Amino acid sequence: MTVSQEKSPNPSAYNGLKVVEIGSLCAAEYAGRLLAEMGAEVIKVEPVEGAASRRVGPFAAGAGDGGHGLHFWYYNGDKRSVTLDIAAPDGRAALDGLIAEADVLICSLQPVELAAAGLAYADLIARHPRLIVAAITPFGLTGPWKDYRSSDLVSLAAGGPLHMCGYDDHAIPPIRPGGNQADHTGTAFAHIGILLALLQRRKTGRGQIVDLSTHEALAVTVELGNPYWFYPRAIVLRQTCRHAQPVRTQPALFECADGYVYFTLVITEQKPWQLMVEWLLSHDLASGLDDPAYLDAGYRQAHFTEIQQVVEVLFLLNTAEQMYREGQGRGLPIGKLNAPEDVFDDPHLRARGFFVQVDHPGQGPVEYPGPAYRFSAFSAVDPKPAPELGEANVDYGLGQSA
Amino acid sequence: MTAPYPDLARSPRAHPRRGQGPLAGVRVVDFCWVGVGACATRALSDFGAEVIKIEDRARVDMTRRLPLYKGEPARAYGQEDVNPDVNRGGVFNNYNRNKLSCTINMRSPKGRALIDQLIAKSSVVTENFAPGVMERWGLVYERLCELCPDVIFGRMSGYGHSGPDADFRSYGPIIQAVSGLSFISGLPNMPPSGWGLSYMDNQAAYFNSAALMMAILNRTVTGRGCEIDVSAVEVGIKLLGPMLLEVAANGRRTRDEVFPIGNRLEYPTAAPHGVYPLAEEDRWVAIAVLEEAEWDALKTLMGRPAWAEAGHFHDMAQRRLHQDELDRLVAEWTRGLDHRTVTDRLQAAGVRGALVQTAEDLNEFDPQLAERGLFFELDHPVIGPARFEGSPMLFSDMEQVNWRSGPLLGEDTRFVLTDILGLEDDAVTALEEEGVI
Repeated sequence: MTVSQEKSPNPSAYNGLKVVEIGSLCAAEYAGRLLAEMGAEVIKVEPVEGAASRRVGPFAAGAGDGGHGLHFWYYNGDKRSVTLDIAAPDGRAALDGLIAEADVLICSLQPVELAAAGLAYADLIARHPRLIVAAITPFGLTGPWKDYRSSDLVSLAAGGPLHMCGYDDHAIPPIRPGGNQADHTGTAFAHIGILLALLQRRKTGRGQIVDLSTHEALAVTVELGNPYWFYPRAIVLRQTCRHAQPVRTQPALFECADGYVYFTLVITEQKPWQLMVEWLLSHDLASGLDDPAYLDAGYRQAHFTEIQQVVEVLFLLNTAEQMYREGQGRGLPIGKLNAPEDVFDDPHLRARGFFVQVDHPGQGPVEYPGPAYRFSAFSAVDPKPAPELGEANVDYGLGQSA
Repeated sequence: MTAPYPDLARSPRAHPRRGQGPLAGVRVVDFCWVGVGACATRALSDFGAEVIKIEDRARVDMTRRLPLYKGEPARAYGQEDVNPDVNRGGVFNNYNRNKLSCTINMRSPKGRALIDQLIAKSSVVTENFAPGVMERWGLVYERLCELCPDVIFGRMSGYGHSGPDADFRSYGPIIQAVSGLSFISGLPNMPPSGWGLSYMDNQAAYFNSAALMMAILNRTVTGRGCEIDVSAVEVGIKLLGPMLLEVAANGRRTRDEVFPIGNRLEYPTAAPHGVYPLAEEDRWVAIAVLEEAEWDALKTLMGRPAWAEAGHFHDMAQRRLHQDELDRLVAEWTRGLDHRTVTDRLQAAGVRGALVQTAEDLNEFDPQLAERGLFFELDHPVIGPARFEGSPMLFSDMEQVNWRSGPLLGEDTRFVLTDILGLEDDAVTALEEEGVI
């Protein structure tokens, strides 16, 4: 493999790309971050009191909420920060100056907020024909819901994924999958939309408006949910930590001595069955499943509950990490449910050099995940921490630093 | 059989608008199959790339076999047909519209020679096999560069193509487990509820789409191709968000806590924040109160009940402290609400809230998606008219060209061999008879 670890000396993919970013919606900030990570010069335009995202927890230990928000760090690394009052005439003139130099404007203001700020994308495009405006909003710039207000949970609800997540017991409500995934789904498509517009501009010389709706991004991120409606007209039912399906299926979460693994016990096919029996035998836990009668798939199906119980014992007596490695070693798809702190200790990720050190002045080095893709022709930039408020004011001719 | 276009209207020749758009002129030899790969190259085929799926008649794409059929009762996706019609599968159709299908027997030296010729006439090669398959065929990056000097080779896998676990087997739920996304989702003191879908099949696909487009953009500037290595586990970890920095910067250990906390929010402070029952059984509404003004708006909508004015619900900190009681009382109110009107009622009052929508709601009742035209329809010779998931963004200066539904198995083999590789029709027939295609 040629790609994985070595850093290419070539400029990153977005080298030379200038981006102006307005708004503090996480989906938009993360899109800016993905561009910055691969070499774009991303200027975050903040109000003088700082973007609202600076005041969102969690915060670095002992730092209070005075500017060391880990939320802000995560979504704003590698960017520059300027402070502008875009409602005031001189602030607005300064913003226009930045936009005139930009290839991409990322903005998360919803239509009613855009109108209040006096920003009209059609005018911007007319004045700057090469400009790409990436409007990243909860519902898009048009339609009856364009100014509806949202949050990660509300977006996951409206968009469809939430309906599919939760427990077998439907007295329990659907449960939000963690980690700002509504925003992250919007980000992923915003990135694709910006790339398509950049590629189109190479052909036409013209920029355009990319109107990304997080709601729509989620509505197409339900995997089998839509096809089950498109084809057999079925609505899937949520199940504990496994696929929502139109009918109930067997559990896939197995409790171990110290946690859980995800594993689908396949009894209909011969090979995975034999691998499972060999695995049980290696722990002296086959409990009769090596009896030749079980070589018959029909017999296995008739005795599924007993089989399930034997397998449960294997897992309960061992750690999740051990079961994960042993199962994978035997060629069975099985995954340990890692906690966030576990992934930092994973030898595979360490061997691939996935984590990168980001030096935070006054805080010391902090490990971040590196880029999610590796290219033999170019690499991510050397990571820089999220900017202090207004640190780039002077560099961009905006007077004193805040 | 390699059908020579029983339906001429479906031939790539009949679609002049095919191949327009930002990726016009990009031909992709696409070995991808199943979910991630097909979903990743869908973004390319939707915007002008000529994506040629290389398929194997002896080892048919799993999504062609999943039993999601129109006009039949629903089955779990694991309940496969013993002898499925490979052209009827709905999941395949959804992921592979606007692509071509070319069947090649990669076990045959002649088949491999055809692939070499095709790669020489293309500029992107994509795959998401288990590590080792492309190597077995000799299709490593260095070889691809010999065939096509500025080639982009997109490799999508669970764990990436280096490191001790590179050979581990995975699919969506495994990636979600190993990356941490499952563990962080669930109620306290319960097993994790994780994900009810292969979220990572979709997300890894999106990051792969972006990676391919970045490489293509870079090539238009520098003239250089490249090899791309994307690990779905690494994408998944990247999606964990700021919680990772709580571990890295603050030493947080979630295993030592009562964690996760269900639908409540750690950050920012929010209460009420949850999913509440509606009048109809198993219908739910999500409500997120992030600011005091929103609590006031919710109280007004609820008719300003006496309980809501009580001191222990007075501010965010108080409400957060008394969330069990608060959630119970909010749920008593939502139980009287109708699922068809709840979203509009909450939003009109200034409350962040929405019905927990099903696929039926998205497709048949959501006025926002309808107005923006997210879903679209295409006919299919075996399936008939079917709906498709569109792209979640509108562009002011281009549009997605939907020229055809998912290809029949090998539907375009003859087109690829004659129109692209320049073979005579007779030669194609001979290859067919020899079992090469």
